[in-house]
Amino acid sequence: MIKVSGVTKKYPARLAVDDISFEVGRGEIVGFLGPNGAGKTTTMRMLTGYLPMNSGSIEVAGFDISKHPQEVRRRIGYLPESCPLYPEMRVDEYLKFRASLKGVKASARRAKINEVKEQCGLTEVGKRIIGQLSKGYRQRVGLADSLVHDPDLLVLDEPTVGLDPFQIRQVRELITTLAKRHTILLSTHILQEVEAICERILIINEGKIVASDTEENLHRKLHACSIIEMEVMAEQAAAIQKVSSMEGLDVRNASELADGWLWLEVEADSASMRVELFNLAVSEGWALRELSEQQHSLEDTFVQITRKKGAE
Amino acid sequence: MSVFISLLKKELRTCFYSPIAYVVMFFFWALTGGNFIWLLSQLAHGESLTIATQLMFSGPLLTFALPVIVPLITMRLFAEERKLGTLEALLTTSVRVPELVLSKFFGALIFYIVLWLPALIYVLFQYRLAPAEVSGFPDMGALQSGALGVILVGMLYIAVGLFMSSLTSNQIVAAIGGFAILFGSFLGMMYMAYTAQNPAVRIVGQYYSSFAHMMDFARGVVDSRIVIMYVTHAVWFLFAAVRVVESKRA
Repeated sequence: MIKVSGVTKKYPARLAVDDISFEVGRGEIVGFLGPNGAGKTTTMRMLTGYLPMNSGSIEVAGFDISKHPQEVRRRIGYLPESCPLYPEMRVDEYLKFRASLKGVKASARRAKINEVKEQCGLTEVGKRIIGQLSKGYRQRVGLADSLVHDPDLLVLDEPTVGLDPFQIRQVRELITTLAKRHTILLSTHILQEVEAICERILIINEGKIVASDTEENLHRKLHACSIIEMEVMAEQAAAIQKVSSMEGLDVRNASELADGWLWLEVEADSASMRVELFNLAVSEGWALRELSEQQHSLEDTFVQITRKKGAE
Repeated sequence: MSVFISLLKKELRTCFYSPIAYVVMFFFWALTGGNFIWLLSQLAHGESLTIATQLMFSGPLLTFALPVIVPLITMRLFAEERKLGTLEALLTTSVRVPELVLSKFFGALIFYIVLWLPALIYVLFQYRLAPAEVSGFPDMGALQSGALGVILVGMLYIAVGLFMSSLTSNQIVAAIGGFAILFGSFLGMMYMAYTAQNPAVRIVGQYYSSFAHMMDFARGVVDSRIVIMYVTHAVWFLFAAVRVVESKRA
């Protein structure tokens, strides 16, 4: 659906995007992550044909953006970063205006607008003035606008920024339902959002793509070993000595808990080594009340990837 | 074409939704009223009716007001779109930049023409009140060329204001920039045309002084060189605005 190859964008003072390449397949939901100022918005603006690039090429649905910008724009529904709307217009008026700009046929316009209003939960507020709507509703108007011409590809630049948790959940659910019909590229720096919605993650840092994979694969690549936590009733020094002496296991941390139990953090070659630890506890006669694999959060992974590259 | 119509409709709607339109209308209509009273007083002092018709479109109250009023109409055009971020939303649809610039230009021009409509009522008024023995009144030729002059001057002023608005995201800056250029050149050219000693300077002044042109048009003098000057200069500024919008994005 999207094919970006070797794209570079220079601003007068700095290099915003540095020779990036990536692809997004039809029907995928891809999360586009990166710290502030990493080049997310610039990339999305080039993708939608708003900003010209200095070098490289972008193809959307098989059309080269510098040769057929109109064809590309027709196929993209774009929600810009700040969700720009005309505050003085009414919701219906605005959607009608946008639909006509996007070449939705006059005869199909009303039906199409009703459909996207229904999809985005805007049926009740059609007659309201946009400037008087809450941020959450405005965001939905923006989304409805990006959907109104039935695009193949949705490019959403931080669709949940500035919303309250309840609205975030609503927008997220909406995006998930949209995923059935559209390819989605979604930028955000809210990591839970990506975890909740996206199938694949692209991480950009300082203008370069530093990772592109599914969430599990990213974790796996970064964290070669698993961390296992266990709580046993045993004597500390002996327990550490026993555990560490086993093949493929190493105690990273240990401490005596207030209620007399011993807490151990064990580095293991794989998470399945919990079985060995259980057997050890049984054979040593330790009472065991906790044995779990530590989950890596996407946040850890994200911080690690962006920091590692930044330090190079 | 349908995109252009949608853009134009939107432009007019936004214009008439904004309070600034009504403020501008209030002041300009007050000035046209003042102009009419002044014109009546000229008649009372024995001025001929033909002169009075001329003053309808070229009264100094109005000619001096235009370089102030027009930037107030045009300041919003692009500056607001930049400020709201809606320019990005527009330019990522199939809208082409020249289409956008033209729709804004014609939107502003239509509003400008609305501003001048009360003048027609005053003409009607004059016509009704004219003594029966006066023949050849109103002078339709002079009225038409006066209206043409008003529209031509408006086109150039609006194009300049629109260009200034395309440069910035701040409406105040756009208004003051437009005002500085229009009023500065208005006064400068007027000085050159009427008081400069050097004949070369005088001729240049006469080519460019919209004050002098509006007087001529109101008298029924249509000079094709002047018509071409206004149209080409307006087109040039619109073209410059297209280039600015195309290149200045981030």
